[in-house]
Amino acid sequence: MTRKTMLAVAVLTSAMFACGQDTEKVVIDGSSTVGPIAKAFATYFMAANPDINVTVSESGSGNGAKSMVAGNCDIADMSRAMKPVEFKHAVENDVLPVPHVVALDGIALVTHLSNPVQELSMEQIRDIYLGRIRNWSELGGPARPIVVITRDTNSGTFESFEKLVMGDKKIMSGAEVVGSNGQMRSRVESTPAAIGYVGLGFVEGVRALTIDGVEPTPRAIKTGDYPVARPLFMYTDGYPELGSALYRFVTIYLSSEGQEIVEDLGFVPVTSY
Amino acid sequence: MKRDSRRIMDRAFSGVGLFSILVMGLFLLFVLGPIIGRGISAYVFRGTIEHRRFLLENFERGDSSRFEREMQAVREARRPVFRHLREFEAAMDESRELRSEYRRSFRELEEAVHHLIGPDPEDKAPVLVRKKYGATRLDQARTHLFEAMHEERWVPDPDNPGGALIRTHTPRGEHFAGTRLEPLFPYLEEHFEAMLQPGWTFYWRFLTDRSIDSHFFGGIGPEVLGTLYLTLGAMLFAMPMGIIAAIYLCEYARPGRVINLIRTCISTLAGVPSIVFGLFGLAFFLNTLQVTQTKSVLAGSLTLALMILPTVIRASEEAILAVPAAYKEAALSLGAGRWHTICTVILPAALPGILTGVVISMGRAAGETAPIIFTAAVSMGEPLQLFDAFSQPTPALPWNIYNLATEHEAVDQIRHVQYGMVFTLVAIVLILNITAIAIRARISSRLKG
Repeated sequence: MTRKTMLAVAVLTSAMFACGQDTEKVVIDGSSTVGPIAKAFATYFMAANPDINVTVSESGSGNGAKSMVAGNCDIADMSRAMKPVEFKHAVENDVLPVPHVVALDGIALVTHLSNPVQELSMEQIRDIYLGRIRNWSELGGPARPIVVITRDTNSGTFESFEKLVMGDKKIMSGAEVVGSNGQMRSRVESTPAAIGYVGLGFVEGVRALTIDGVEPTPRAIKTGDYPVARPLFMYTDGYPELGSALYRFVTIYLSSEGQEIVEDLGFVPVTSY
Repeated sequence: MKRDSRRIMDRAFSGVGLFSILVMGLFLLFVLGPIIGRGISAYVFRGTIEHRRFLLENFERGDSSRFEREMQAVREARRPVFRHLREFEAAMDESRELRSEYRRSFRELEEAVHHLIGPDPEDKAPVLVRKKYGATRLDQARTHLFEAMHEERWVPDPDNPGGALIRTHTPRGEHFAGTRLEPLFPYLEEHFEAMLQPGWTFYWRFLTDRSIDSHFFGGIGPEVLGTLYLTLGAMLFAMPMGIIAAIYLCEYARPGRVINLIRTCISTLAGVPSIVFGLFGLAFFLNTLQVTQTKSVLAGSLTLALMILPTVIRASEEAILAVPAAYKEAALSLGAGRWHTICTVILPAALPGILTGVVISMGRAAGETAPIIFTAAVSMGEPLQLFDAFSQPTPALPWNIYNLATEHEAVDQIRHVQYGMVFTLVAIVLILNITAIAIRARISSRLKG
C-alpha cells in the first residue's frame, strides 16, 4: 500500500519536473490604470492565439518597473514614464526599457454624484490636497468636511497627479490612502463628502469634475486643454523581436481593433481610424 | 451565603458561555447566509437568450437549431427598437434643436438599450466582448430596462437649498413625448420578455469555464484550477518533509535542550503572519534561487508549503506519539529494526492522525492570499495544463476575490461572479475540513490496541 503510494508520488513528481514543452507565455504586471486595457487586449489576443497564455496582474506602476528589471515579467504596464533612477537601475541590470504609448488618459478628479460642486480650478484642487480648503462650503457645496483621498506612493497615477497638480508641494498627511483605481472609485462612490482621482476608465458611478472650465473629454485630452492628462505606457525589455508573440501584443493598440477597445474602455486612443 | 454566590457564579458562567455560542451562531448565519444565497445565484439564475448565445458562440455548447428558432423570434421583436433608435438619430443629425434638447438623454437611452439587448445587428460588430452581448441575466436586464425607461438626474433638494443633491428618476417617455421615439418606451416594456426569452438556467460550468473579458462572462475555471494546483503542490512539498521531520523528532532525536529549542522554533514559525511568508517567498524563491523566471505555481506552492510545514510537523508528531507504546515494543521484540518498525507499524497506525493534520493545513493553504500575491497569483490567465503548472503563474480564488473588489473597473456589474467565487472557496475549504473530521472519526476505531 505505502509502496504503491510512494511510487505514484515519485512518478508524479518526475513527470512534473520533466516538463519539456512549455506553453508560450506573456507575463504582464504593473499599473492598475492600464489594467483594463491590458486585460481587454489579452482577451482579444488569446481569442486569436489560443496557445499563448497571457497573464495580467496589477501591482502598481512602480512594482511593474521593478518586476521587469528583475526579469519577472515581459511587459510592465505604467501610468507614468520611467524615472531616470529606474532607467539607470534597469540598464545596470542589462535591461533596456522601451516604452510603447498604448493610450492617453486624463486623470479625472472624482466626487460623489450628490455633490453639487461640479467645477474646480487647479488652484482649488491644490488647496484641497494641501489641506488649506477643508470644507465643501468653501467651494459652494454643502457644509461637510472634505474627505481627501489619495493613492499610495507606488502608484503611477499618484506620481502624475503630484507632478501635474501639486507641483513641488506635498499632499497633506491627513489624506486617506487607497491602493488602486478600483478602490478609489468605490470609496468615492460610497462617501458623499469624498474627493479622489482616478484614470478615465474608472469613472463609472462617480462624477468627473470639470477643471478650469475643461471637461475630461477625449478631444480635450488630445489637444492638451485638459490640464491633468498623461500617456499610458507598456514597457518591454528592448524592442520585441519582430513577429514574436510579444511584438504582436504590444502593437495591438496600433490596429483599428485596438483603438476601438481603448475607446470603449473610456481611454483616449493615440490612433484615429 | 457562600452557596448562594457559588450558584450565581455558576449561572453567570453558563449564561456567558451560551451567549458567546449564540453570537458565533448568529455571525455564521449572517456571514454564510448571504454568501451561500448569493453565491448560488452565480450557478443558478434566470438566464436570457444572450447567455445562451454567449455559450454557443464562445464554448460551442447548447442546442443550436433550437437556439436559431428562438433567436429568429427575438430578432423580430428587437428590430423595431433598433429601427426607432436609428431613425431618431438620423433626425437628430439634421436638426440642431433636437440635438440640443435630446442628445444627452438619447445617448443614455442608447447605452441602456445596448446593455439590455446587445448592439444593433446592422452596425459593425464590436471588438470588446462585453459590448457584443446584451444582459445575460434577468436581474441585470431589469436594471438596464429601468435605466432605459427612466432618466436619472441629481438635482438640488427643494427642502435643503445649497445642500447635497438628491437623486430623481423621471420616466424618459415623458421627456420624449411628442417625438418619434415616444412609442419605443411602451414597446420596450411590453416586449421585454419577448426580446430576452428568460428561463431558469443551471450553469454548473461556472466552476470550470474560463472567464471571458475579465470576468464579465464565463466562469471561474482558471481560479479553481489554480487553487487546486497551489494546494496540492504545497502538500506535495510539505507532507514528506513534515512527516520525516516529525519521525526524526519523535523517534531518532535525543531528548534534550536542542530538541526543545527546535520544537519551540517550530511553534513560533506556526505563528508567523502569512504576509511574511509571501515576502520571503518572493525574495528567496523568485529573486535569489530563481526557481522560475516569473511568478509561478511552483514558487507559490513552495511558499505555501513553508507556511503550513509547522502545522504538519506538529500534527504528525501528535499522531506518532499517540500510537500505543505496546505496538512499538512488540515490533522490536520480534526483531524488527527501528526503520522497519516505523514503516510497518508506527506510520500505518499514525496515518489517520497525520492525514487529519495535513487536510486541515490544505484548507488553510487553499484560502491563503498573502503568500501567493507576490509568488504565484495573477488577476487574469488561462487555465493551466499540468505540465505548464510549474513554470506559469495562475489566477487563484482568494487573490481574485480581493482583486475583483479592489481593482476591477466595473465591479458593480459582476457582483454575482464575486459572490460565486467566495461561495466556491468557502465550499472547497468546508469540504476539506469535513474530510478531516471524517478521517478523525475513523481514528478512534482504528487505534483500539
